[in-house]
Amino acid sequence: MTAATLILILVIVTALAFDFTNGFHDTGNAMATSVATGALRPKVAVALSAVLNLVGAFLSVEVALTVTNSVIKIQDSSGAPKSDLTANDGYALLLIILAGLVGGIVWNLVTWVIGLPSSSSHALFGGLIGSTIAALGLSGVNWNGDGSELDGVIGKVILPAVASPVIAGVVAAVGTWLIFRVVAGVAERFTETGFRWGQVGSASLVSLAHGTNDAQKTMGVITLALIAGGQWDDTGAVPFWVKLSCALAISAGTYAGGWRVMRTLGKGLVELRSPQGMAAESSSAAVILVSSHFGFALSTTQVVTGSIIGSGVGKPGADVRWGVAGRMAVGWVFTMPAAGLVGAAMWWLGDLLGGYAGPIAIVAVLVAASGFLYFRSTLQPVSADNVNDEWTGTPKAARAKEGAST
Amino acid sequence: MIENLEFAFDGAWRVLLVSLVFGAGLPVVFALGVRSLAWGAGGSAEVSGAAGNAAGKMIAGMCLIVVLAGVALGITIIAAAGFGKAVSFEHGYPTIVAKES
Repeated sequence: MTAATLILILVIVTALAFDFTNGFHDTGNAMATSVATGALRPKVAVALSAVLNLVGAFLSVEVALTVTNSVIKIQDSSGAPKSDLTANDGYALLLIILAGLVGGIVWNLVTWVIGLPSSSSHALFGGLIGSTIAALGLSGVNWNGDGSELDGVIGKVILPAVASPVIAGVVAAVGTWLIFRVVAGVAERFTETGFRWGQVGSASLVSLAHGTNDAQKTMGVITLALIAGGQWDDTGAVPFWVKLSCALAISAGTYAGGWRVMRTLGKGLVELRSPQGMAAESSSAAVILVSSHFGFALSTTQVVTGSIIGSGVGKPGADVRWGVAGRMAVGWVFTMPAAGLVGAAMWWLGDLLGGYAGPIAIVAVLVAASGFLYFRSTLQPVSADNVNDEWTGTPKAARAKEGAST
Repeated sequence: MIENLEFAFDGAWRVLLVSLVFGAGLPVVFALGVRSLAWGAGGSAEVSGAAGNAAGKMIAGMCLIVVLAGVALGITIIAAAGFGKAVSFEHGYPTIVAKES
């Protein structure tokens, strides 16, 4: 086996691992509110979300291979890898992708351990930007696009990250406020059953949209790697096994359930009741679908967080834990730089060792870091059984910080 | 940078407007349905536990149809995007067209 073949295999495995973390990190986006209000039992919620993610991933018939183009310049506009990176069976390009993926996974795991909902796509983009800067310098990054459309790191990542939680929050706040006005005085037996159904329906839409959007990114990355490695040459299609394995990975990840993140979203921000849950998920579903219709790239996580906060703002007498929200905002700011630093460090490590040793060392670091973080998570386990416990029972670190900031 | 800001602003208010219609409007229609379902019975201090009256159920049914139509539109947009298509509203009603750009 040549070094290029080895790195190609490692890229594919790592990409699927990223897809898996993407799944469990984002389960809460769709299902946190339904679990928190008791509309669905935790295990049922993750199973439903996993199935819908699987269906969503298979709906991705036309996969754009140009996923990385919005932030870095390693592909041309058709999706084919840049020719100066494809020498030696694409080793240079594969090293950038491998290092970037590791950056994304490590940040996803760190934020999972501390129960912080953060964008998986930002983590992936952050990792890739970091490894690209390390490999090609600052000019390898597409900061601003060419001015003809919303593009580049600023247009595709930073501006949407600022706008999307606000938009989703406003929509959810208006929805919540109106709903509580409309059903004021109606007996709880009508509202509880009614809104639980509404909640499950709107949450299902979010899951489906997530499956179509996020699984596609990994499919695009793996296919790019295959093209660079000379194993695939059609920029208009994705091999079926890539589609199948990505769909299974994201769906398995979703089923594993990111209980830590789900708990923060469902219990940490606002004490949710089912009308709020429905308003929040409807707002999320609408904002995600409308913006993808208009061609804007949004982070599902940020939309959902904004919506949940909005549902707290809109309900008379409800409290929003702004301390928790602030902590999330700080986490979002750090997502790209942190994933980028890991990505860059991984590229340097891989480049320094080169040949067979480079990619193997990168993956060894990934395995060690994942093992350590998994061990950390077992010290304060959050599972389907305690995901809905009172928020005061959260890890001490979170409580101390929350207290300090209020 | 300036171009990006303009594009983002231009897009943001459109997303906000349309999302308000679907993301807040449909849940309110749903809430109206729940309210009419409880019509004639079921104030918050009720003791009877009786069902709402028939007219209320009909209105609830109509509200549900409106909401389901919205959901169907949402699923169509997701599915169309997966097939590399988009949903166009240029005729006033949704039609599936080839994706622009």
